[in-house]
Amino acid sequence: MTVEDCVFGSIHIPAPLAWAVNPAFLWAGLALAAIPVIIHILNRRRYRVVRWAAMEYLLSAMRKNRRRLKFEQWLLLATRCLILALLGLALSRPLGCADSTVAALAGARTGVHVFVIDNSYSMAYEADRPGARTHLDQARMLARQRIRQLSPGGESVIIVTAARQEAAAGRAGAESEPGIVLRASYDLEAATAAVDRIEQSYSGTDLAGALQLAARLAREEQRQPHKHLYVLTDFTRSAWETRQADLLRQAGSELSRLFGPRITIHDLGRQGQWNYAVLALGPEGNLVTNKFHTDFVATVRGYGSGVQTLAQWKWDEQLLGDGGRLVPSTDTQDLRQTRAVIREGGAHVLSLTLANDEPLRIDNVRHRVIEVAAELRVLIVEGERGSGMLSGSGAFLDLALAPRKQIGPDGAIRSDSYVAPELISDLELGNRVLGDYRAVIFANVPSIQPAQADQVRRFVEQGGTLMVFMGEQVSTDAYNTTLLQRGLLPGRLVARKNAASDASAFTLDFKPDNAHPLLNAFRSYERSGLDTAQIFSYIQLEPAAEAQSQEVLLRYVAGGRQTGDPAILVHTLGQGRVVTVTTTANPDWTTLPAKPAYPALVHELLAGTVSVGDRWLNLLAGQSLRIPPTIRLSGLPVLTDSARRPVPVEAVTQDGVTFYRSSPLARPGLYSLNTGNQTFPVAVNVPDDEADIRLLPAEAIRRALGDIEVRFAGDAIPEASLARNDNPDLGWPVMLVLLAFVGLECFMAMRFGHYRRK
Amino acid sequence: MSTLPNDTDYRKYLDPRTLARISSLDLRARLIVEGLMTGMHRSPYQGISVEFAQHRPYVPGDDIRHVDWKVLAKTDRIYLKQYQEETNLHLICVVDASESMAYGTVGGDGAVWTKYDHATAIAASLSYMAIQQQDSVGLAIFDNELKRYFKPSNSPGQWKTVTHELCLAPRLRKTNTGRILDQLAEKLTHRSLIVVLSDFFDDIDGITKGLRHLRYKKHELIVFQVLDPMEIEFPFEDVTLFRGLEEMGELLTEPRSLRDGYLEQLHLATERLKKQCRSMHIDFERMDSRQTLDVALSGFLATRAASIK
Repeated sequence: MTVEDCVFGSIHIPAPLAWAVNPAFLWAGLALAAIPVIIHILNRRRYRVVRWAAMEYLLSAMRKNRRRLKFEQWLLLATRCLILALLGLALSRPLGCADSTVAALAGARTGVHVFVIDNSYSMAYEADRPGARTHLDQARMLARQRIRQLSPGGESVIIVTAARQEAAAGRAGAESEPGIVLRASYDLEAATAAVDRIEQSYSGTDLAGALQLAARLAREEQRQPHKHLYVLTDFTRSAWETRQADLLRQAGSELSRLFGPRITIHDLGRQGQWNYAVLALGPEGNLVTNKFHTDFVATVRGYGSGVQTLAQWKWDEQLLGDGGRLVPSTDTQDLRQTRAVIREGGAHVLSLTLANDEPLRIDNVRHRVIEVAAELRVLIVEGERGSGMLSGSGAFLDLALAPRKQIGPDGAIRSDSYVAPELISDLELGNRVLGDYRAVIFANVPSIQPAQADQVRRFVEQGGTLMVFMGEQVSTDAYNTTLLQRGLLPGRLVARKNAASDASAFTLDFKPDNAHPLLNAFRSYERSGLDTAQIFSYIQLEPAAEAQSQEVLLRYVAGGRQTGDPAILVHTLGQGRVVTVTTTANPDWTTLPAKPAYPALVHELLAGTVSVGDRWLNLLAGQSLRIPPTIRLSGLPVLTDSARRPVPVEAVTQDGVTFYRSSPLARPGLYSLNTGNQTFPVAVNVPDDEADIRLLPAEAIRRALGDIEVRFAGDAIPEASLARNDNPDLGWPVMLVLLAFVGLECFMAMRFGHYRRK
Repeated sequence: MSTLPNDTDYRKYLDPRTLARISSLDLRARLIVEGLMTGMHRSPYQGISVEFAQHRPYVPGDDIRHVDWKVLAKTDRIYLKQYQEETNLHLICVVDASESMAYGTVGGDGAVWTKYDHATAIAASLSYMAIQQQDSVGLAIFDNELKRYFKPSNSPGQWKTVTHELCLAPRLRKTNTGRILDQLAEKLTHRSLIVVLSDFFDDIDGITKGLRHLRYKKHELIVFQVLDPMEIEFPFEDVTLFRGLEEMGELLTEPRSLRDGYLEQLHLATERLKKQCRSMHIDFERMDSRQTLDVALSGFLATRAASIK
């Protein structure tokens, strides 16, 4: 009989103590075995005294039977001690070995069996198995088979799933930890029912998280020294070759300590399985308007050897263009739908569908909700008002953003631009609701009140864009105190720098070949004037070393030499972005506004940084819809899925802000949100990192787990393991022996005259 | 003498538990005899029928049942009929007064009936009946030596002497029955009916030798072994410290385990004594001190009747 050591977390218990499920009872039994001895000693001290006449006969009887009496007394005492010790041993439930004879004696085995069942969307792959349509169906069947083999009352079951979960923390009404299907339970019927309830998820795999969760739950089950782990998953690259490689190795190490050699990984994948997936979809640029043509791009990839497929573009469920036929390829392909004309603003749905009959179709379609900007409201706050045209500090911006204004029949000024700028004085800033605009531009504003700066900060954090231009009126100290402290500047304003003369004015270091992405439009823009514009003054800015997502688009050049001072910077604050231009927006300090490139520059900066406003309408399976507080509701929001079934939405307060949030949207597809005055489409897609279903060899899996000892099995349980003899619980056989001794004790006591009555 | 109670059911006075509540041995004896005779449906003062032997003059105190009325009518003189059995029956009660006879568990309510009580009740009753029959009654009380000896006499005061001495005897010493019986054998000059009352927790060989000596001297013997019910049954259960009387030592033991062995030893000793008695034509009777006394006395009466024939 071999005995294995037992490991509880980081505590290593030598083998002898791991012989029993509850070793403490054994020690208690041995301690109790002292009771008959103590009673015997106490009885010797407590006796009645009898004056006796027939002493001679008593003494004679004693002399004659002394030896026999002593033997009987010792035998009874030993039997009583043994009974109590056996009781402790029986209750401690000693564990037997794998010997079949010992196992046959035992009534129940012991151990905790942990099942990690991968229900990510790759497990929806339809394999040709009898009785199991998908990999997940087969996993459920395997789990049920294993559970049926377990010993009721002796072996417990834990079940967790491996699909990526949205954290339940903070969700009102959340009672169970995501990923846990069944905590340790001896009810095997309930375990089987729990397996049946596992639903196909459409999110990606989080194997590292699932294995760590399984390890934690198994560690908590301290009553069972022997633990078994079964991982039922496909051996796909997407599941095992992830960015969480370190976490997987850590999990593997933990599992090895807890489970030892009792880890079985079932490979449910099928050799030769293949998949086509739409990995990404969206407009080529940041901003889509109804004023310009838009190019859409989709990323498609095949995994494994597949068949030809047909790609179909749709805009709001209407076919867009002529689609195309895809040649099977394992390379990533970009499909383009160019020069799509969009006439209406608002939220629209772009879709790409791969029409074929592959076994995993859930990632063959991807939707993208696109907010088409019909009118982009921009607030221009100028610090210096002008009386004439182009005389204020923001006038050139206004013209650049919305040129060719016309006076309508009603006298209103209209422009063909998708941008609708509004020019105000800095004194009027407090009267404006910043949420009504997509961008706010400060042009030569002297200073900002702290309360207004807080509003601006919130505006940017919630997705708005801020552009800051300098000027004569700007107080560097006020900016450093107010804006910089709130992260609305990328660095400290130092001092104004002037060119020595007009001839030695500063220029910008624009190079078409090496332009920042936001300036891509100027790569082929000949004679844009960006590199020739003169800057006579600018305010020197020291970028903060710890600033996040800070990018310098252009710097100043003096006499052909780099000054190192940034001219245009972009940085991120929350969900929005801030563009800082260290010179003026009008010709006061620079000739740039007069250049042909100026309107394009302003448009590109705006379009490249403005939040498109549709991020919240595009989700991954398993995520919840969160309605931004800026969305006006005229009633309770109603969310329905593609089958028009309602999805619960509840009000949530977080960090003092109240907003509506739905339950996790498990199924991919198109949902519809009605806010009372408007209806928004909501796109839910599968993640793009689960599509690679090409299988890994077993050795790669072992390496991913840190080269631990693992048994690999296929999608069926081996016959040998169906007859399990390990860890038999010998508690009942010991109890039978104990009962036999109790009977023996009674018989001896009667025989020795203890129970005799005249 | 105290008067007899008016209650006519005398049989209850054969029960040791009832007798234990009566402190006077004198009264006990008379109640026992009354009870016995009531059960036998005979007059307690009626002698056993025997053949007429001769007349003798009446003296005050004689039993008037034996007055020959025909002679009185003829001669105006009172003569008593004398029967054959009235010729000098000497009854001697030999009572063991050793410490072991002080053991008793029968009774209750503070009145404990010991083996000595049982023995003395029998001795007193027998003496009473004998004196009523004009027999001579003697008494020997012993422990490890002959404490008191009264040679047989049928004088009226002998009865009082017997009861008085039986009450007085202390019960503190060891036993030496065999030697006492030997001494008695040497002492007695007249053939007698000797009734030995003891628990015989003593050397059986010595006792046997003493009995044989008495038999050799042509005495009639009746042996009553008086035992307490606890000694007969040994019903002890829990751990007990047995303190032996007559300096026999102590023993701390679990009585349950010794019960069988003890009873076997007691039985062996009793059987041995019984066998020895039988071989010497001595009547042996084992008595349980909780038993009613008619058993003992009936036996005595039967023996007496047989001896007279």
